[in-house]
Amino acid sequence: MILLRSFCLTVSTIAMTAAAAHAEDITIKLWTLADRSAPARVTNIEAAADLMNHQFEAAGSDTRVVIDANASTVQGWDDLALDTLKAFAVGMGPDISVLPHEWIGQFADAGYAMNMDAEIAAKPWVYGDILPNLWEAAKGSDGSIYGVPQDAEIRMFFYNKDMLREIGKDEAFIDGLPAAVEAGDFTLDDLTALAKEVVDDGAAEYGMLHRPNVGIDYLMVFQSFGVEFMDPDTGKLQLPKQEMRDALAWYQNAADQGVTPRDNTQMSWDTIKSNFKQENAFLFHQGVWAVAWQAGDDIANSWPTDGDGYFDKIGWIPAPAAHKGGAPVNLSHPLLYTVNPESDHAELAAELVALATLPYFNNQHAVSSYHTAISHAQEAMPAYRDNWALSAASKLMDRAKFVPNHTEFGSYNRILFNGLQAVETGAMTADEAIEFIADEIDLQMGDDVIIVDSLEG
Amino acid sequence: MMSSSWTASKADTLPCDAPGLSGRPNSRVIFMHTAYRRPRPTRPILFLAPAIAVLAVFFLGPILVNTVIAFTDMGATLQIDGFSLGNFQRIVQRDMRLPGILLTTLVYVASTLLLFNVTLGASLAVATSAVPERLGNLFRGLWLLPRMSPAVLYGILWIWIVDPTGAGLLNQVTGALGLPQMNLRNDHPLMLIVVINGVVGASFAMIILTSAIRSIPAHLADAARVDGASEWSVLRHVTLPALWAPVRFITMYQVLSLLTTYEYILIITGGGPVYDSTPYALYIYRRAFENGAYGYGAALALGLMVIGVVITLLQWRLTNMRDTFAAPKIEVL
Repeated sequence: MILLRSFCLTVSTIAMTAAAAHAEDITIKLWTLADRSAPARVTNIEAAADLMNHQFEAAGSDTRVVIDANASTVQGWDDLALDTLKAFAVGMGPDISVLPHEWIGQFADAGYAMNMDAEIAAKPWVYGDILPNLWEAAKGSDGSIYGVPQDAEIRMFFYNKDMLREIGKDEAFIDGLPAAVEAGDFTLDDLTALAKEVVDDGAAEYGMLHRPNVGIDYLMVFQSFGVEFMDPDTGKLQLPKQEMRDALAWYQNAADQGVTPRDNTQMSWDTIKSNFKQENAFLFHQGVWAVAWQAGDDIANSWPTDGDGYFDKIGWIPAPAAHKGGAPVNLSHPLLYTVNPESDHAELAAELVALATLPYFNNQHAVSSYHTAISHAQEAMPAYRDNWALSAASKLMDRAKFVPNHTEFGSYNRILFNGLQAVETGAMTADEAIEFIADEIDLQMGDDVIIVDSLEG
Repeated sequence: MMSSSWTASKADTLPCDAPGLSGRPNSRVIFMHTAYRRPRPTRPILFLAPAIAVLAVFFLGPILVNTVIAFTDMGATLQIDGFSLGNFQRIVQRDMRLPGILLTTLVYVASTLLLFNVTLGASLAVATSAVPERLGNLFRGLWLLPRMSPAVLYGILWIWIVDPTGAGLLNQVTGALGLPQMNLRNDHPLMLIVVINGVVGASFAMIILTSAIRSIPAHLADAARVDGASEWSVLRHVTLPALWAPVRFITMYQVLSLLTTYEYILIITGGGPVYDSTPYALYIYRRAFENGAYGYGAALALGLMVIGVVITLLQWRLTNMRDTFAAPKIEVL
C-alpha cells in the first residue's frame, strides 16, 4: 500500500512538473563542435538567455528560455556542417547553429539560415561595429548576409626561435625573419631549406608539422602559389592546375627532404601539438588560438606566458611568398552563428545571437580561447588590449584572406586534402596528384568547377 | 493426431490426487474433458509474421529505399531534384578510383579469408583441441576478447601498437632487436588491415571448427592409430576431411562479412593514405558520408549487393553447398 501511494505521488509530481515546464519554458537548441578550449560559444548564448530570463522575470512574465546545447564530437567543422544539413533535411535542425563561414552558401540556398539583413539593420547597437571584412565572410551567393560572426582568427606559421639559435643563427637573422617574409625576400622554399637545416643539425626531429585532417591552414600555401579558389566572373569554384601543382610540389619536396614526416596526416592532434610544445618540431602552421595550448599547462613542458617571453621563444610569420618579391598570405576562418528561419522561436534565437555578439560577451570568448576580436569596440577593451597574443594577431587581420563561401567548397577542400596527403605520403608525385584532384573534382562536381591549366596568361 | 488422442486418453486416466500436478498433494485437481477437435489447417503466415515484419522493416525496406535513392541526385541537403541513371553511368564510365578499389577489396577479402579466417582459424581449432581442455578453453576465450570488445577499443589498441614513433609497441620490439622503426599505417596499410581483421576473424572459424573436431567420433582416430597411423596422418586423413563442410560455410559467411564491414579500417587507417586501404564497403561510406553524395553512395551500395549475391551463388555452386544443408543420410540416435 505504501509502495502504491509512493508510486502515485511520484507520478503526480512528475506530471505536474512536466505540465509546469511545458507552460513556461522555451527551449532553444544550439549545435556546435565540442571544443574544450572554447566553451564560450555555448556559454555566451546561455549567458544571453540568463539576461533575457532576468528581463522576463522583472517584467512579471513566467517565460523562461532554456538552452539545449549539443557540442558534437565529430572530427571537424565540415563533418558538423554535414550532420547539421542532414538534421535540417529531416526537420530536426537546431534553432542556432555554429558553422564555418564557407558553408553559409549551402545553408542559405537550402533555406536553413535566416537572412540577417533586416536584423543587422535593426540592431546597430550590436552589429554596427562588427569588422567590415567579417561580413564578407557571412554572405550567401545572392550577396545577402546569412550569419553573424561568432569569432575570427588568423592563421600563420609558428616557428621556434630557440632552435634557430641552436643551429647558430644570430639574433639579427631571427628578428629580421618576419620583415624578410613581409618583403617577399624570404620564400616558401627558403623556409623549407631553413627547416631542413634545423633537422639536419639535430635541433628538432621534425622540420614542419601541420594539421592531420581537412581544414584551412594549408590553403595559405596554395594561395601563396597564386591559387584563387573562385572565379570572380562566374562565381564558380576553379582549379588552376599549374598553381596547385606547384603548391603540392612544395609539400612533396618538404616530405622528400625529411622536413615534414610522411605520416603527418595520420598523426593525432595530440601528437602534433605535443611535438611542437615539447620542442621536437621547428614549424607548425595553424591559427592564433593555438597560443591557448602553447602558453597553457595542458601539454607538458611550460613555455613563457608573458608576451616578451613567448615571443623570445616563438615567432609568427604568414605563409611566405612562393617566389621572390611575391606577397605573403594570411588566412582567417571566421565561424558564424546562424539562425534557423523555420524555427518556432526564430526571433528569440536571433535575439539571443545579438546579445551573445555584444562586445562584453564576445570578448569572454576571444580572450579565453585566443580568437581575434569581431568588433572595433572589443579591440579597445582592456581585457583584449592587454592580451599580448590577441593584440599582435589583430595586426595581421587587415590583409587576411578568406576561403570562398561556395556550396561545394567543403567537398573541394576534402579532395585537395587527399591530394596533399598523397604527395606527402609518397603515394603520388605532384603531377599525379593534380591529375587525381582534377579527376575527383570532375567526378564529384562536374561543371560546377572550372578546371584551367593556369591562371596566368 | 495419434499423439493428441493418446495424450487425451492418458490425461483422462490420471488420478485426481496425483502429487505434483497442483503442488499440493491433497488438493482436488479438476480435469476439463476436452472434446476431440478436428485439426485446423495450419496458418504458416501467422508463425512467419514476426520474421517477415523484421525482414520487411530492417532488410527489404532499406533495400527498397536505397534502390530509389540510387536513381536520384541526392546530395548533402538530402533534396532530390530528379531521377536518372547518372549515378550508374558515373560508376561504369567515370569513376577512375573504382578499379583500384575493387583490386584492394579482392586482395583484402582473399588474404584475410585464406590466411586468417580459414587457415589461422583452423590451426587454432586444431591446436586448442589438442591441448588439455581447460587450457584450450582459456586460450579460445582470450582469442575471443577482441570480438567481444567494442570496435573502438580494439582500434585504439592497434593504433598504439603500430604508432610510428618509438612509443608504439611494434617499434619498441623492433627497437629492442636493433631493427629500424616501422610505419605500417603509412607504408603497408593494406597488409595492416588484413592482419587487424584477420586476428578477430579467425576466432569465428576457431569456435566452429573446434565444435566440428569435437563431433568427430573418437573411435575413428583410435582405429587409425591402431592401424599404425601417425598423429599427422590422423590429422590429415581423419580430422581435416571432417572440417570441409564447416569450412565451406565459414568461407561463404566470412566473404560476405568481409565485403560489408569496415569499422576497424575506418578507425585505424581511415581508408588511407588517400584510398590505399579503402575496400568497396568503406568506399561507399566515404563517398556518401564524407562528401554528402548520398545518391552516388546508394548506387555503389546496390553494386555491393549485386557483388555479394553473385559471389554467394558462385560459392554455393562451386563448393556444392546444397550438400552441406542436405538431410543426414544416417540418423545417429
